Amino acid sequence: MKPVPAFSMLSLIRRSTLLAGLALLASLSAPVAHGQGSPPVQPLPSKKPDTDAKVWGALVFASNDPKEAASMPKVDVPAEFADIPQRLGKVFPYKHIDVIGQHLQDVFREYESWVVPTKDLFLKVDSKGPAKEGGMNLHLQFWRDQQVIVKTDAVLTAETPLFIAGPKWRGGQLLFVLVLQKGS
Amino acid sequence: MKTPPEDHDLLRWLDGEMSAAERERFDARLAADPALKAEAGMMQRLSADLRTHLPAELPVPYGDFFNSQIQRRLSQEQEQPAQVPAAAGWLGWLRLQWLAPLGLAAVVIAAGLTTLKQGAPAGGSDTYVHSIYVPNTAVHASTYHSMDAKATVLMLDGLEEMPADRKIVGFNITRGEMDEAVAATTLFDAEDNAVAVISKDARSQPVLLTSSPAR
Repeated sequence: MKPVPAFSMLSLIRRSTLLAGLALLASLSAPVAHGQGSPPVQPLPSKKPDTDAKVWGALVFASNDPKEAASMPKVDVPAEFADIPQRLGKVFPYKHIDVIGQHLQDVFREYESWVVPTKDLFLKVDSKGPAKEGGMNLHLQFWRDQQVIVKTDAVLTAETPLFIAGPKWRGGQLLFVLVLQKGS
Repeated sequence: MKTPPEDHDLLRWLDGEMSAAERERFDARLAADPALKAEAGMMQRLSADLRTHLPAELPVPYGDFFNSQIQRRLSQEQEQPAQVPAAAGWLGWLRLQWLAPLGLAAVVIAAGLTTLKQGAPAGGSDTYVHSIYVPNTAVHASTYHSMDAKATVLMLDGLEEMPADRKIVGFNITRGEMDEAVAATTLFDAEDNAVAVISKDARSQPVLLTSSPAR
């Protein structure tokens, strides 16, 4: 996309959002001062943002190497998603398929949601509302560190998970799973 | 108090958008109005300060997403049977028939992205991928529905391999709380420990701060 000139007085107001972002970045990067006379900060009571659904995202390591697979710390998968590794095996021909990270996340109606089963591979989810045929209309962005790998518009249903084939790693492959939680 | 047209003229003057004649007239007004001249001077200083602290160019925020939404709408229009009003005439018909595909092609070329459209699934209850955009042209994306796994699969061929010496640590996140004031999401594990905070910087890049490995 062609860059646009960053500065124009007519767009000063819009710039304020960027400046707010920079301020946030600075505040996130700044070291936190503890104690030393500073009064404890009480969080302000706030209304929780509206949500449209709940999704489960998982990072899966698939490998044919039993030693490599055994060395990976696994997470306990909720019963409702327990069949996911077996279903992954029908698509990705690996002997060992293990969930090594997971994230259960509300999908916010008016804000972006993040599904982060690891800091290395994660998903940004924007709700576009319920789909006519059932499920949710979502805009998804699959990120690897600071690089977006793929962006997609999809209808995600509770019956059918989305499997994303991630990068190869240590002789195996990293897979990403996104499931719409039933009844959410 | 200045009237809106005066404000508008001042902004156009600052942005160098005036013609020579307009600028000459506005310069004469500045010379005659000390208050306006003072404000113009203040705005110029503010402008110079901002120029020194902001990059010269910024990418359009959510540019790809904007393109995706245009493309999606165009695709939807293509799928619907053309409903040409009787009075539209043959020129109108030409526009309706050709504008959508040409617009679609232009958007795709301009974005320089790989696009793909999945065939609509037979059943209404399957996950369905409308469109895919891959910024890296070395990566090829494809999608299909696996009847065997009862899943929709997004394949990404050509992805760069993760370095073998990279330690990938999985989280076990049970909830994420959005702080609307700072547009950041804090991620918690089952023991209610804050594991990470995620937000975006001014370039819409994710900023992920982790407290420690979750497990």
